[in-house]
Order: sequence, then C-alpha cells, then structure tokens
Amino acid sequence: MSTTLRRGAAVAAASTLTLTLMACSATDDPETGPTDGGATSADPGAYDGQRTAAMDEFGIDSVFKATEPIDISLLYRDHPGYPVLEDWLIFDELETNHNVTFSRVDVPLADWDDRKSLLLGAGDFPTLVPVTYPGQETQFVAGGALLPVSDYLDLLPNFTDKVEKWDLQEELDLLRQEDGKFYLLPGLHEKLRPQYSIAVRKDIWDGLGLSLEPATWDEFADQLRQVKEAHPEFDYPYSDRWQLNATLNAAASNFGTSAGWGLGQGVWWNGSEFVLTGATDEYKELLTYFNGLVTDGLLDPESLTQEDDPAIQKFVSGQSAAIGTNDQTVLDYRTALEEAGNTDFEVYHIRVPAGPAGDILAGSRFESGQMLNADLADSEHLVATLQFVDWLYYSDNGLEFAKWGVEGTTFEKDADGTRTFIGNIDQGGINPSDNPEPLNATYGFHNGVWMPAHGSTFDLGTSMMREEVQEWQAAMSTKEMQTVAPAWPLSELEQEEASILVTALNDQVTQNTSRFILGQRSLDEWDAYVSELASAGQARYLEIVNGAQQRAAG
Amino acid sequence: MVTIADPLERTDAPATRTSGLKDSRSYKVFTVLNIVFLIGLVLVTIYPFVNLVAQSFSAEGYIRAGEVNIWPKGFNTTTFSAVMSDSMFWINYRNTVVYTVVATVIAMVLTTSFAYATSKRHLKGRSFLIGIAVFTMFFNGGLIPNYVLISEIGLKNTIWAIVLPNAISVFNFLVMKAFFENFPTELEEAAQIDGLSTYGTLFRIVLPLSKAVIATMVLFYSVSFWNSWFSAFLYLDDKRLFPVTVYLRNLIAASTDASSVSAAAGDVPQVNANIKAVTMLLTTLPILCLYPFIQRYFVSGIMLGSVKQ
Repeated sequence: MSTTLRRGAAVAAASTLTLTLMACSATDDPETGPTDGGATSADPGAYDGQRTAAMDEFGIDSVFKATEPIDISLLYRDHPGYPVLEDWLIFDELETNHNVTFSRVDVPLADWDDRKSLLLGAGDFPTLVPVTYPGQETQFVAGGALLPVSDYLDLLPNFTDKVEKWDLQEELDLLRQEDGKFYLLPGLHEKLRPQYSIAVRKDIWDGLGLSLEPATWDEFADQLRQVKEAHPEFDYPYSDRWQLNATLNAAASNFGTSAGWGLGQGVWWNGSEFVLTGATDEYKELLTYFNGLVTDGLLDPESLTQEDDPAIQKFVSGQSAAIGTNDQTVLDYRTALEEAGNTDFEVYHIRVPAGPAGDILAGSRFESGQMLNADLADSEHLVATLQFVDWLYYSDNGLEFAKWGVEGTTFEKDADGTRTFIGNIDQGGINPSDNPEPLNATYGFHNGVWMPAHGSTFDLGTSMMREEVQEWQAAMSTKEMQTVAPAWPLSELEQEEASILVTALNDQVTQNTSRFILGQRSLDEWDAYVSELASAGQARYLEIVNGAQQRAAG
Repeated sequence: MVTIADPLERTDAPATRTSGLKDSRSYKVFTVLNIVFLIGLVLVTIYPFVNLVAQSFSAEGYIRAGEVNIWPKGFNTTTFSAVMSDSMFWINYRNTVVYTVVATVIAMVLTTSFAYATSKRHLKGRSFLIGIAVFTMFFNGGLIPNYVLISEIGLKNTIWAIVLPNAISVFNFLVMKAFFENFPTELEEAAQIDGLSTYGTLFRIVLPLSKAVIATMVLFYSVSFWNSWFSAFLYLDDKRLFPVTVYLRNLIAASTDASSVSAAAGDVPQVNANIKAVTMLLTTLPILCLYPFIQRYFVSGIMLGSVKQ
C-alpha cells in the first residue's frame, strides 16, 4: 500500500512538474521569438488566438491598418492648451484609414501623474498609458499590472529597428528591472535634444566686442566681468532663474559631474564603480566656479532663491544682462522686452561652453513613452495593439502622421522633403497668418499623447524648429556625448531602502550646494562636508547601488 | 397653543449699546485701533479679489509685466467672451451647479436626520452610532480601497460618486447634534400633547425653529461641494462630467507646473494670465454671492450649541 501511495505521489509530482514546465515554456515563448526587427509573419504559429484584427505582414515600412475595427482603451492626458475634441481629424483618420478607435479615460494634465498612480495602483486602467517618463514605471512593476514589453519585441519591428540603428541598446538596458525585463516603451530620440543654456544681451555683447560663443566657462566669466566694468548700472550682470538648477545641469557635464536638475539618483560612474556625485572633486570644481561668480559680484546671489518672474523682470527691465533659458523661453523674453518697450535689446541663446572636463553633453535620448496593461497579454487583440503602437510611435510613417498630420490635408512636402502647412494651419508660430488654426487644438496632431520625442528622428524633430534653434542644435551637436553609466536595477526591498537614503543624501548635497555657491559655507570646509555625507548613509547607499550593478553585470 | 420666540431675535436683541456714560479715553483708543486693524484686515482679504477682477479686464502684456494691481490696464472684455464661448467651461459649470445642489440636498437630509435621531438621549445604541461617525474622522480605508469600492458598486462616472461618499460631514453632524440637544424639550413635549407625531414634531416644530443651524450647514456644505475637485479627480473619467473646479485646476496647472508634465508634448503650455483670472472670477462669483444671504443666520448659527441656556 505504501508503494502505491509513493507511486501515486511520484506520478502527481511528475505531472505537476510537466505542467509547470509547460506553463513556463508557454509564457517564455515570446522571448525566444525573432527579435531581429523583421516582419512578424515569420512565425505564424505564435500568438494563436491573439491575432484578431492584426496584419499578417507587418514590418518596418508597413502602414498599420487593422483587418477589422479595433477599439483600444486609452488613458488620455488632456492638455488645456488643446482640450480634446470628439471631431478631431486625427480620430477620423485613425478610424477611417487604420480601423482604430479609442475608448478614452480623460485625465486633466493637472492631475495626470496622481491619477495615473491611482488607477495603476488600483489595477483598473486602460490598455495604453502614454506620457510616462522612464523611471516612473518602476513603482508599478511589482504589482504585476504592467505588460513586460521586452517579451514582445518580435512584435515591435520599428522599435527594435530604431534602437539598433541609433545605438540605443545600452540606454535601453538601463530600463531593465530586477527581473531583466523592461515595462516601458520609451520615446526615442535619434539625437540628443538639449534645450537649456544661457540667454545674453546680444547688443551689449556686440558693443563690447565679446564672442557670442564663449569657448569655456572661464571665458564666460571673463565676459561677465567686462560687462560689469563697462556697465556699472548692473547690480549683477547675470541673474538666473530656476534656482540655478537648469544652468548647473547644463554646465555640470563639462565639469565631469552632474548637478541641479540632473542630480538624479546622486551617483556618478567613475569608470569602475559608482561614487556619490556630491562628494567628488569634480563637483567641488563646479561649485568653486559658481562660488567665484558670486564672490566677484557677477552672479546675483538671489539666483538660487528667487522665483522665475523676478529674474525675468530683472532681465527684461535692463537690470541684468544674462539669464538661464531654453529654446522656448527665449521667445518669452523677446515678447516681454517688446511689451516693456525695450526694443533695442537683443537676446541671444549661447551654446553651452566647455569646461575643465571637456566639451561634453549629457542627457538621455529617451523621452516619455508608453506603458501597456498586463491584461493585454491574454487579449485576442495583443498582436494588433502592439502593431498599432509600433506603427504610431516608432515608424517613420506613424511619427510623421502624429507630428504633421495628413499629407495633402494639413501639410505638403516638396521635392527635398521640406514640409509646410496648408492654408492657415500653424504650430508654434512657424506659419504666421492673421487667423492661425493651431494644428494641435484644431486637428489633434502634434499632441504629446501620440507624439513622444517630437517625432523621434532628427529630421522630424527639427522640422518645426525656428532657424535660430536649428542653428543652436547644430552647434550643440558638436559636443562629445557623455558615456552611459551601466545599469543597476534594484529589487523591491532595495528600492525602498535606497529611496530613503538617496532622499536624505540629495537633500544634504543640494543644501550645501547653495551654501557653498553663496559663500555661506567656505569651500575650505569641503572635507568636513564630505564626512557629513559619510555619516548620512553614503556607504550603505553605494553598497546597494554597486551591488546591484555587479549583479546586473553578472 | 404655545407661542414661540424665534431664537434669532433673542440673540439679536442686546445689540444696541446704552450710551449714558462717556467713553473712557482708553476705550476710544481701543476703538480706533480696532477699526484700523479691522480695515487693514479687510483690505488684505479683499485685495486678491480686486486684483483678480483687475486682471480679468486687463491686457495680457501688462499682467505679465506685473503692472496690474487694483485697476485694469489695457481694458478689454474680449477675455470674458473668449472664456464664455468655450462650451466645455459651461458644461463643467452646469455640472458644478447640479453636483452642488444635489449633494447639498442629500447631505442636509442625511445629516439632519442622523443628528436629530442621535440627539435623543433615550435612543438605544446612540453612543455606538455616534462612535461610528466619529471613528471615520480619524480612520479611513485609504485612497485605493475607496476607489475600488466605488468602482465595484458601479458608481464610477456617475453623479453619485460625487454626491454620496461625502454626504455626511462628521463635523457638521456634531454641530447639528449639539444644536438639537439644546433644543428646549418643553417645546417638543408640548407638540406631542397637541397630538403631533415624531415626524410632525420634527417637520413642524423643530425644523422651522432651526433655521439658523440649517442655513449654516447649507452654507458649509454648498461651499465645500462647490470647491471640491478631489472626488471628481478620483471617480470621473469623462471630461464632460467634470465640475468646473477641475477645469480651472487644469488651466492653472498648465502654466505653473507645465515644465515637468508637458515638456515632451511640444506644446505652448502657457495659458494666458487674463484667461485664468476670468475663469477664477466666474467660478468663485456664485458662491461668494451666497454669503450675504446666509450671513445673518451664519453668525448665530455657528454660536449655537456653544452656550447652554
């Protein structure tokens, strides 16, 4: 009897094992599928029962059209600049030519992140969730609500093609979670698109014969010194906005570090391991530079504390000659100058100068992207939905559609590929007319929900830029790219501990950054500051980060 | 028949000061300082509103240059017509009115009946019922469980998700209960002797004499429902169902918070300051107008229950 029992148990165990193995191979199957970016028809047996409405042949040049109408539920970020309208051309076009309609859940921009967290936390959210920045998906991974998109790369030929063509694999690996999968399809940039630098008064610079492209940050300081001497009416020649964070961020890579808005997780890859950014000599050098500007009376000490408006008013009213800017705000300054009647002032957006570490540009080529609901994995529309996502967000055809609209209706393309709007359609003032029809508000195109990364390709990305911005982008593109640090995906527990530690550490770093720059704390006390960081959990934090890095590196 | 003095008249009575004695010097100084202080306070309170009105009639350029204070510059009414021509604004505005009215009615019915019942000391399980209510002041299920509950019982995307979950404010309930507890029992006894049922007593004796507290509660509830956006944020998916507060939030966020949220969208995130001013003005105006009508009840209402007579 005991033999029978034992045999029964063995059979049961064996069948459980078989079942488990079968289950494993069923779920793991997609990962072993073709990931070469070719047409997905190669393996017709895969995704049986999940190909409803999907195209049989879908590849890099395909224009997606569902074989039968498909409705995709969409978490829609409603922007007050272009409130969603049912009769937008983009909805018509998608329905008529692509057989796609949306069931929208409208979320006002103001509550976008909070509402998204709530819905994802409750597990009750639409299939497609766009406008999500890399890193924002991490908090939802453990709940199992998100589709591990890395398992379905064989269904995303355009995405994989662009990642490969643009050499984005290393950056993509940074998105991998502890299980080795990633859960977000980021918006991709062919080339980095920097925006921030400093705006200077061109009339003053020209008057003193100063170069509008200072080669180094030291040269920029010299220029400010000359402006101060020649124009004693300025209290400070340079008064910055964004609490100096934008400028620190733009400058930092040239000093071989990261700071301001770019401080991020507070760690820096020194080539062999991660160290705490705020404790490095390079960081000290950056602070020494800006402290020098304050000590010499060149940088307004209020730059670190004032709101944006007073900084702008100082610049516009002629109390300062330089201010932080991006390629949009430079227009605001001009408008404000005009309104203030200072029409003889000219504004110029300078290239970010080089620093002691070189002429380096840092930043990610990822933009906000899409998350998908894990329920899609079992849906009959799995293949069709992924084909649609791949076409709209990653194919050249889809990207142009999302950014410019419909050729012949909203825009025209001439022989050399230059696109122009038809009639009085306009976006961002590139087609001025008496009665402009904004492309996004009237037709629904050029909309962050369907157009991540401004069109992705360098061609599309710059296609709506003003000439001045194109020139600036070209100047910035000669900078060397900062190398990508290796990935260090954390487990859920580590994540929790690390986020507590990094909050405290980053607090210390940013507080002391201000104090060092303003001279409230002397840079002679640097060593004391570094040991303060050591007692704020630096060692433990670095241990977690470096441990995760080594684990991921295998 | 018992003659009943309106409690309001009683509290209004000693308002006139007998002035036989000459005011002392220090009293005069005090009065002057008092007046100056209060006028200052009024100015500080009124300034933002005046500024808002001025902005709503001003040209955008002057507002951005920070030149508009209490008087409009570059006077125009085009912003008003622009905002008023946005159909979504009026749809959301109508929603706010409907939500506020329905929610206030429901809240008043529930709060009044709950408070009246629990104000009777002979009610069995009274302290348990009050305890349950007070418990919710300090503990609740949390955001996500609430969300799951509301969507599971099918209230999501309906008016009921807005008007039901907060129907009884425990604070308001406690104030009303205190009022009813201090209500002279003699009046109710007299009504019973004259043959009124429990409901008759409530509707024909107690409620007509409780105008002060009812007006106060109506004001509390309607202002809070008018201003609320959080339930809409939680439970509504369709922008045609949103109250106007969500519309307004979105407008304001577009210009203050846009750098982080919409950088990828490639949009012009600035919504003009004068559009914001007009929208705020139109949104706050109706509820502001409610105050003068209820104020005379308001002062006595909030005091009620605080002193035993």
